[in-house]
Amino acid sequence: MTITTSDTELLRQMRSGGADAFAALYRRHQGPLYRFALLRCGSADTAADVVQETFMGLLTERFRFDPLRGQLQHFLFGVARNLILKNETAHQRHVVLSGPDDEDGDAGAEPPDDAACPLGRLLDNEAAEEVRRALALLAPHYRDAVILYEMHELSYAEIADVCQVDIGTVRSRLSRGRAALAKRLAGWRAMAGAA
Amino acid sequence: MDTRKTTNRDPLFDALRAEVGRLDTPRGVERELLQAFARQHPARRRWYHGLTGRGWALAAGVSGLAAGALVLAFALHTPDTDGDRAGALAARDDSGLFIALDSAERIAAEPAPRMVAADVPRASLAALGVPLTPENAGDSVRAEMLVAADGQPLALRLSAIQ
Repeated sequence: MTITTSDTELLRQMRSGGADAFAALYRRHQGPLYRFALLRCGSADTAADVVQETFMGLLTERFRFDPLRGQLQHFLFGVARNLILKNETAHQRHVVLSGPDDEDGDAGAEPPDDAACPLGRLLDNEAAEEVRRALALLAPHYRDAVILYEMHELSYAEIADVCQVDIGTVRSRLSRGRAALAKRLAGWRAMAGAA
Repeated sequence: MDTRKTTNRDPLFDALRAEVGRLDTPRGVERELLQAFARQHPARRRWYHGLTGRGWALAAGVSGLAAGALVLAFALHTPDTDGDRAGALAARDDSGLFIALDSAERIAAEPAPRMVAADVPRASLAALGVPLTPENAGDSVRAEMLVAADGQPLALRLSAIQ
């Protein structure tokens, strides 16, 4: 029987100098965090940097997790999202685009790294790559909601916590994000259906 | 308030889920993080971690000297101890050494000890160090025994081996 040590216990051990506990925490959470960052920013290198900076912040206690305020993974998603936003803000002086799907009055969309450059191919599967590209062209705040809901199975409340917005905003962002995706993928779906 | 977990995810994402689900952070990130952790939490250093090669040699020399001194002290002390024990276990008179068969206090406290000559089976003296072979196992040894008033043997002196 495998007994899984809780995140809180691993964090306690990590703060006491337990390298194994830190490694266990990293291995438990790096995958979802990396996948979130990858889809969110569209660059494997940036995603790896974001994961590294997130865990470095946890290690140095630059980002202090409070177990009473939720799950560690959601906290890490929040930290990663903030790091990505910070990264995007730094790039905004070069490119400022506001997507037509940005309808809830939030800041304009910052295209993902690989959208600013020629769209690089990240995935082998064509259907997956098409969806990823369409996702990458969504406004960032829609992208957050769609990725966390569809790819990571977070609830509206959990997404609200990660993105620091209320649940109504999560619901509307998700709805608009899906609509924009459907619109973008309509042409590809028709072609795929015809083929 | 809708806090439900996603159960009816959009099938549009199925291919993306399958494809992205295989991806993990590059291995180098874990290595760098563990190195950073090691820098953040250096292993607790004991006093002996600070010793250089010369320090270790010095420590080994000092330890060796200390061990030698200890052995010497024991060696010098042992005869005294044996002497004490001998005082308790044996006593000498003009004719030779007695081996105590009872405590020194008991022997000293005996008001009327007497000496008795006896032939003692060699086999029963093997525990006292008398050589025993299959050939002489049946022999007896001439001995003088110090006996208490109640007949209890107190000490023994081997006078002749027959």
